[in-house]
Amino acid sequence: MLRTVKSSMLVALAGAALALSGCGDGDKGGSAPGTGGGGGAADAGAAVPCFSVAWSEYPSWSTFGVAGELKLIDGKKGALGPIEKKWGVDIELKQADYDPCLVMYGSGQCDAVCITNMDVLSPSLSRKSVAVAPTSTSCGADALIVSGDLKDVQSLKGKSVYGLAKTVSEYCFVRNLELLGEKEADYKFTNMDPGAAALAMQQKKEGYEAIVVWNPFVLETLNKRPDARVLFDSARIPGEIVDMLVVAADSLEKPKGREFACAALDAFYAVSARIEDPRTRDETLVALGEKFSHLKVEAMKKVVEQTKFYKTPDEGLALFTGAEMPKVMDKVVDFCVKHDIVKDKPVLGFGDKAAAGAAVLRFDPSFMTAVKDRK
Amino acid sequence: MAGATNRGIVFECRGVHHAFGPNMVLHDVNFRIVRGEIVALVGPSGCGKSTLLRAIVGTHPPGRGRILVGRRGAAEMAEVAEPGRDRGIVYQRYSLFPFLTAQQNVALGPMLDQTSLAFRAFRFPSWRRLRRRHMEEAAELLARVGLGKALKLYPHEMSGGMCQRVAIAQALIMKPEILLLDEPFGALDEATREELQRMLLTLYAENCRAAGRGEEPPLTVLIVTHEINEAIFVGDRVLGLSQYWDWRGAGHAACPGATIVYDKAVPVCAPDADRNFDLFRDRRREILDVVFSPEVLPDREKHCLFWRQLENGEGQGVLQPWATAATTSGAGRDGSSTPGRPGPSS
Amino acid sequence: MIRQPASMRAKVVLGAMAVVLMLAGYTVLSERQHRLNPDDTTIPTWSLLGRGVSRIVEVGRVVPGSEESRSWLARQKTRWLVADASATGYRLFLGLLLGVAGAVVLGLLMGCFEKVEAFFAPPLSLLAKVPPTAILAVFFVLTQTYTQMCVAMVAFGILPTMAQAIYLGVKEVPRELIYKAYTLGASHAEVVWNVILRQVLPKIIDGVRLQIGPAMVFLIAAEWLGGEVGFGCRIRLESRLAHMHTVYPYLALLAGFGFGMDAALRRLQRWLCPWCAGGC
Repeated sequence: MLRTVKSSMLVALAGAALALSGCGDGDKGGSAPGTGGGGGAADAGAAVPCFSVAWSEYPSWSTFGVAGELKLIDGKKGALGPIEKKWGVDIELKQADYDPCLVMYGSGQCDAVCITNMDVLSPSLSRKSVAVAPTSTSCGADALIVSGDLKDVQSLKGKSVYGLAKTVSEYCFVRNLELLGEKEADYKFTNMDPGAAALAMQQKKEGYEAIVVWNPFVLETLNKRPDARVLFDSARIPGEIVDMLVVAADSLEKPKGREFACAALDAFYAVSARIEDPRTRDETLVALGEKFSHLKVEAMKKVVEQTKFYKTPDEGLALFTGAEMPKVMDKVVDFCVKHDIVKDKPVLGFGDKAAAGAAVLRFDPSFMTAVKDRK
Repeated sequence: MAGATNRGIVFECRGVHHAFGPNMVLHDVNFRIVRGEIVALVGPSGCGKSTLLRAIVGTHPPGRGRILVGRRGAAEMAEVAEPGRDRGIVYQRYSLFPFLTAQQNVALGPMLDQTSLAFRAFRFPSWRRLRRRHMEEAAELLARVGLGKALKLYPHEMSGGMCQRVAIAQALIMKPEILLLDEPFGALDEATREELQRMLLTLYAENCRAAGRGEEPPLTVLIVTHEINEAIFVGDRVLGLSQYWDWRGAGHAACPGATIVYDKAVPVCAPDADRNFDLFRDRRREILDVVFSPEVLPDREKHCLFWRQLENGEGQGVLQPWATAATTSGAGRDGSSTPGRPGPSS
Repeated sequence: MIRQPASMRAKVVLGAMAVVLMLAGYTVLSERQHRLNPDDTTIPTWSLLGRGVSRIVEVGRVVPGSEESRSWLARQKTRWLVADASATGYRLFLGLLLGVAGAVVLGLLMGCFEKVEAFFAPPLSLLAKVPPTAILAVFFVLTQTYTQMCVAMVAFGILPTMAQAIYLGVKEVPRELIYKAYTLGASHAEVVWNVILRQVLPKIIDGVRLQIGPAMVFLIAAEWLGGEVGFGCRIRLESRLAHMHTVYPYLALLAGFGFGMDAALRRLQRWLCPWCAGGC
């Protein structure tokens, strides 16, 4: 018995040790050109600093996987794709589940991570972060699904609503209650893994009449249980649950750090453009679907509707420079403090480094501008 | 059969046959044991001694035939088909429960025999009193077999000889009608083996004293052994079970299994007698030939002379009063034997 | 020389040294990481770990006028440690109890009756190879509540392996002992209770000792999926927020708990089965 517990501890410790030694990502000392992130790979890439992006399966984040597959960027360390050559950086793609991505980012094992505007608050406190661009916003991808006989939100009172606590699911639920003028205290949100909650719902398990989950579980549950329906979803709070690409502030300080962020965004916009273009739309969606729960193209069309991409720098800029963004983030931060996700309100900043000052998390539109200008 | 319960027949195998599928193992095994005897059963390995013993213990009843046990105070012998408290058994190994001390091992019998699970669970105070008595009884018995100081030892803390003493005490406390010993000293060194043989002879001497007083001898033993000297030394009678007999002469096309080919009283040794196996040399030779030799195929009746010996008043030890009664009454108890036939004088 | 015996004292000193070295290594690691990033929470310093520990044991938010503000007992339950340990402990012990009880009954029946053995042996050896975490959907259908699911996961997780061990143990009881018991006048029930069960008891305890590890893994995996309290769900939520200073104390607690259970069961074995000194 001891062995298992001890070994899990060891794994945790080893993971921590990796954070120190791995790729030199969080290592200021290794930032000199040639010896930096590249880690001394022998070929042409050796001279080019290497940065890593951690991504998990999600419609707008699987674009990085597709970009790697299309060879726009070469996800391996030491090999360069056209976009990497254009910006003169080497990007390493690291795919993992969402939670491990967060841990990877928090422990400094990657330079950039795909993360939501809510989940980024906690790691920002230990690792100053810069949101370089929004990739998409949830517009129906997070939904409250109820069994058919529950007609309105009042009928949920006294029942458990299952979803993963302290995540966008709970945020989506609480914000919708607010919009409906309901009191949060009257409802019971119960922590449960979204996969498990969806499974329970699909099995018509007693007591599991309402779940808040994200895609692909929303689509899957609605498919497998025709009598279930969406009571409300994130479509009512567009632009509040924002999926982003976040880069660690020290990584941006390294030589070519800014170019790295731009290259990653360039790749994202390149794939987004292929989805927009009717000639390449279907094949790109098929490729994207393979990297998102193996969904077929029809389902993917629905998915990209519910997950609205910020497909051009202009759309991204509109969000980050808009007047709404600080207000949205205020709501998110309030929620996080109230739900014990962060202890104190983190200082947020909007604009470039000079404008944002001592903020632990800043929403910086300058990278999108740079990508736009260097088309 | 007047007086049969007193000094009478305590055990009988009547027409026991056994086969494992096509393998004939036992063929028409017949013998009776007088209360108080120590009967040694010998035979070549693989002859079916273990099969016969398992049949007697009752764990593997014989294919055909009956096994009868005479119980104290009962007029008729009773047929047995499963293990019971009237037959005690001591195996070569695994006779003791490893999780009990010597004393607990011995006290286990009375506990299982006299109480039930329900009694022990629901009538705890009475059980406690009874248990104390059992433990005292066990301690006494262990002292009698020379283990008064080993009461609290677990089997793994005792030598092989000590374990077998405890095992015998464990069986004795049940006062079985017959005690079965299955190669009991086979795994012991020579000195220990001799000690234990003498212990059996001591118990036998008690039998003789009881018989002399006209009482029921307390203990009857059937000891299975592959050691002929041991058989002659501790037994007052040797039974030979063997597949080497004249089955062709009896009209069989193939060997129908082992049967009793040798049944004779042997001289009784005192517990402190010299253990000089030279004295048994002739007897040993005879048994080796008749029972163990594949070349010698005797007629199965030829060496089964025990009852005739008794009728001739040849019985020693516990058999002495019995034999005397037989000669004075002038009629054999075994209907098939002819009285008055002379035998070797003792 | 190889296998040169070492003195007890040397063993103790070396063992203690290894622990001290481990702790020192951690301290150095954490110092280094904090020189790089003073706000790091992935390899917390001792003081940060201390704060994590106090976060775990401190009384939670108490709303005036609530149940917690009035009752001392209810207030204790707002401590994470109390809430998590009682939830996880309840699930673990109930699961272990049911699993072990089931395994003992099944193992005894299989060891005593060959027909029962023939019926159960194939599915059992199959199920022993299937991690219960992989058949979560089945447990969902089988159980009503979340706690029941955790308990069922633990119970069914350990049952096949334990039942196998017990029934093999029962089959290893020398037949002579069983016959012997019958010649001593035992009933069938007494043979089971006074001979077989006594004989396999150390094996049962060993089985529990070996299965506590897997049981905890299954339980943590089940708790990982949800619930309000419990070690598994707390560790998931906290590690997601990169709060390693609370995660590590939880892991240490789990390790300590496992160590304690192991020692306690060893003790129990020595006390209940003094005859099998040094293991049977």
